[in-house]
Amino acid sequence: MTTENTTPTISNGLTIEPEPGINRVSGKPDPFASIGLRSRHMPTKRHFGALGPLEKIYLFWFVGASCDGCTIALTAATKPSAEDLMAGTVPGLPRVEVVHTVVSVESGAEWVNNMVMAENGELDAPFVICWEGSVMDETKSGTGYWMGLGEDPDTGRTVTSLEWLTRLAPKAAAVIAVGTCATWGGIPAAEGNVTGAMGTMDYLGKDFRSAFGVPVVNIPGCSPIGDNITETAAAVLLFLQGLAPLPEFDELGRPAWLFGETVHRHCPRAGYYEEGVFAEEYGDKECLVELGCWGPVVQCNIVERGNINGHGGCMQMGGICIGCTMPSFPDKFSPFYATPPGSALSTNTSRVVGGFIRRMRQVTMSDKNRSPRWDEEAPSGWARHKSEPMVANRITTKFYKAYQDSRKSFK
Amino acid sequence: MCFKNLPIEFDSEGRARLREGVGDPYGLNDGDRRRSYTKVAVLERDPVQEGPRVRDWMIDPVTRVAGALAVHTKLDLEKREAVEGHSMAMLFRGYELILQGRDPRDAIDISSRACGVCGGVHSTVSSLAIEQAFGITPPPMGTIVRNLGEVAEMLYDHPLHLGLLAGPDYSSALVEVTNPELVVEARRTPAPNAAAHGYQTIGDIMDAMNPLTGEYYVEALGITRLGREMCQLMYGKYPHPSTLVPGGVMTTLSTSTFNEFYNRLMKYVDYSKKLVGIWDDVIDFFLDQNPDYARVGDRPINLIQTGIWDQPEVYDGTYENASAWGDARWSTPGIIINGELLTTRLHDINMGIEEFVEHSFYEDYATDENMKFPQDSLGNPLSPYHAWNKQTIPKPTGRNFKEKYSWSTAPRWDRMTLETGTYGRMWTTALAQKHPTNDFYEATGDGIRILMPEATLPETEMFWKVPGRLNALERNRGRAYATAWTTAVGLGILLQAFDYWRRGETKTHTKFTIPKDERLGAGFWEAGRGYLTHHLHMDKGKLVNYQINTPSTWNASPRDPFGGLGPYEEAIIGTPILESVGDDDVKGIDVLRSIRSFDPCMPCTTHIDTGKGVITRELNSCSCTLD
Repeated sequence: MTTENTTPTISNGLTIEPEPGINRVSGKPDPFASIGLRSRHMPTKRHFGALGPLEKIYLFWFVGASCDGCTIALTAATKPSAEDLMAGTVPGLPRVEVVHTVVSVESGAEWVNNMVMAENGELDAPFVICWEGSVMDETKSGTGYWMGLGEDPDTGRTVTSLEWLTRLAPKAAAVIAVGTCATWGGIPAAEGNVTGAMGTMDYLGKDFRSAFGVPVVNIPGCSPIGDNITETAAAVLLFLQGLAPLPEFDELGRPAWLFGETVHRHCPRAGYYEEGVFAEEYGDKECLVELGCWGPVVQCNIVERGNINGHGGCMQMGGICIGCTMPSFPDKFSPFYATPPGSALSTNTSRVVGGFIRRMRQVTMSDKNRSPRWDEEAPSGWARHKSEPMVANRITTKFYKAYQDSRKSFK
Repeated sequence: MCFKNLPIEFDSEGRARLREGVGDPYGLNDGDRRRSYTKVAVLERDPVQEGPRVRDWMIDPVTRVAGALAVHTKLDLEKREAVEGHSMAMLFRGYELILQGRDPRDAIDISSRACGVCGGVHSTVSSLAIEQAFGITPPPMGTIVRNLGEVAEMLYDHPLHLGLLAGPDYSSALVEVTNPELVVEARRTPAPNAAAHGYQTIGDIMDAMNPLTGEYYVEALGITRLGREMCQLMYGKYPHPSTLVPGGVMTTLSTSTFNEFYNRLMKYVDYSKKLVGIWDDVIDFFLDQNPDYARVGDRPINLIQTGIWDQPEVYDGTYENASAWGDARWSTPGIIINGELLTTRLHDINMGIEEFVEHSFYEDYATDENMKFPQDSLGNPLSPYHAWNKQTIPKPTGRNFKEKYSWSTAPRWDRMTLETGTYGRMWTTALAQKHPTNDFYEATGDGIRILMPEATLPETEMFWKVPGRLNALERNRGRAYATAWTTAVGLGILLQAFDYWRRGETKTHTKFTIPKDERLGAGFWEAGRGYLTHHLHMDKGKLVNYQINTPSTWNASPRDPFGGLGPYEEAIIGTPILESVGDDDVKGIDVLRSIRSFDPCMPCTTHIDTGKGVITRELNSCSCTLD
């Protein structure tokens, strides 16, 4: 299907006029502007029905000592999805124009030009920095670099990604540290590293505030849940649009509504813990604490949210929690597959108390699995095996009946 | 006899040994054993004439690749081709160093973080290396779950690359900028495979490939999520798995696990028919329009693959039987030189591997003190540059193309530059014809026949023919067919899983204790981009040394001590400039197409080793700037 290249017209008569920007490197009209990826022009007309002042925001996604896992996690988000944010198809949320090595159309100097424009205040909309990966100490890299990212347009000097962060962070609307490396340092900052790796907020320091007055926002996880990233971004954007309240952040700059609970409290296996039943071998379906799971003391929402599309993630599937959202990950959790030392007291307590409760529940459950009709006869193929009710069942039934009758008499 | 450059020979019983009378078998200065590099020959024949018509061009960063990659090239606008190439990995983190002294089991979770694009393959290969060191064999279902996880990971990885990273280079939006006449032609060229993918003209396909707005682009993003969900059914979580352990997996399986996997896998049955149709149409169109597109990213057919998807009946985890279980894999390991299959034995592959740091930001490590293992456990000779002997010391310095310019090392096999990739494993599998018998694919010696069952689209037989040359377009075509092939493998393995499930063999894990004596282990597996090994040395229950060698370390490697180029570098040199715009507007899109066709993945390319590193300062003598 071929369509004519005409200006799209919205039914109410307002038009969206593509105006190519000027490419700073070549000094010519920006060839990529025509596909909507590099339009640097100020919008001439407000869209009728716009849900706030912001129509567009730039997102500079930089990496330090990163594995790109957080980028991959971002593309797993669905509420909202990265592609919807980038295309600007969620009413109320500004279109997010992403400058990211993995998705950008342009390469080399043309790509670097985006950062130069941001630094010079030449962009037509505010920009946000997402930082993925640890911040490596480039004073330890001699005349070389741990992480080079583009060249200085005037001198050809290799600019480190850290230098871009240092230069752009104070001018950004917000700096969001995505993933445990970026928030707390993570694995590249573990014992034995030579790069001096650390978290973004530690690097930017106590007094750091973005241009909008915000300290570093931290979304930990190795990798974080994609929806945690886009939801936090969306919540902040909806606030800026004047549509939703300011989201709450905890004392470590984490979205409080996402990281306020331990992962154990919502764990699908927590019921086994309560009843004192623990997995003994890898692959068992019960509580994993004795196989090394740190869930009871780790703040994370992976089990109730799911990792992708509400699906998957750690204990749901059989994996232990290794504490990957926490500031002390990985060193204070390793070796990962050893039983956490503190768990002996709690699991044995649970074995005694929970073991008793579990047996009581089995009696009740057996009773609830019996239709009153089957006390006389069990005619179907399935229920035929039901034997005469045990003594315990008779007692349970009798007492519960008496309880129900007593409730009725109150009415 | 598979070694030409290293002095390794085999006795009558097939045991390898060093040829007698060679004084310094692994010396770097023996001119007689230097092999000739095709692409070096090109350079030597045509020394670069620096003139106004040669544009020195630094592309930093190269985008739409994973991780930090920069490329330097010189475009000769007279000859209309690229005449120089340097590939630079720009990032260093130090994972191998962090792994030293840790509990070996932690290597699975830590080495996974080497790469967030393909964390599952790192966790898996790490499990393989550790269980080899521990001497344990997983139960069949443990192996099958790993296989299905790998299937899923590939089904996320290939569509991601084709749709989001490589695809835009062939989209109408970008081609409009570099070759507007092609878009005009594409709009009036009917698409031969319209019945499979629904796009009537080549122009429609190219529109669909437009970044962010194109239908195919957006659909690709969705399909990668589906693949990752399948991954999570087996690996627990993605990008970084949570259920992989030595001796199998700790995934809790139920009937739902297989149902959820089955129903997602079936989506790929139709998707792969569509994908192959799309890429066949686009690639054939480009080649029809200008046969010179076959020169883009062209390099000799020299490949190395380590194989994936073990047969549970054959795989026992031991190094001793590695060649046997390697040959039994659904995707055969192997080495191809000039299009000929040289060997499929993992032992041959392992003993020929060396990693050089002549042009990398590390200090030379091949000292007598570091030469701990002159032989493997079978008596096969090992180089001081072999992973089990490797001890690299990071040394960041200024970039200088004559000296050091990349954080990637230069891995070589038998001192030759080898490439690895998705298409590479189809290549070895097709030539070797050793894969397990199944209903969905068959290697024919000159290709792979793939049968996709009927779903919404009718039953489709596809044939991936081993290409006559290895270039950018064939890499992408191979990756499209690999999506279909991987789906076929997945169908075969899923039926195997049902079979074991039916027999009640549902155990996924073998118990172990951590040995306290000295052990070696090696994992051989593949990422989306091909070759992947982890080599470990442990003692007293702790890791002494841990070495990661990844596909993009091979592909992105800089020059070696013998003057040989890395695969990206070979591919860039000789790539024609086919843009129809004026010289000032040349974007170098064909150089970028060459690089992207490898599906570069830089995060795990750079990592380090042991370091008692003294960091020295040197002057930055690099003076390459944008023209």
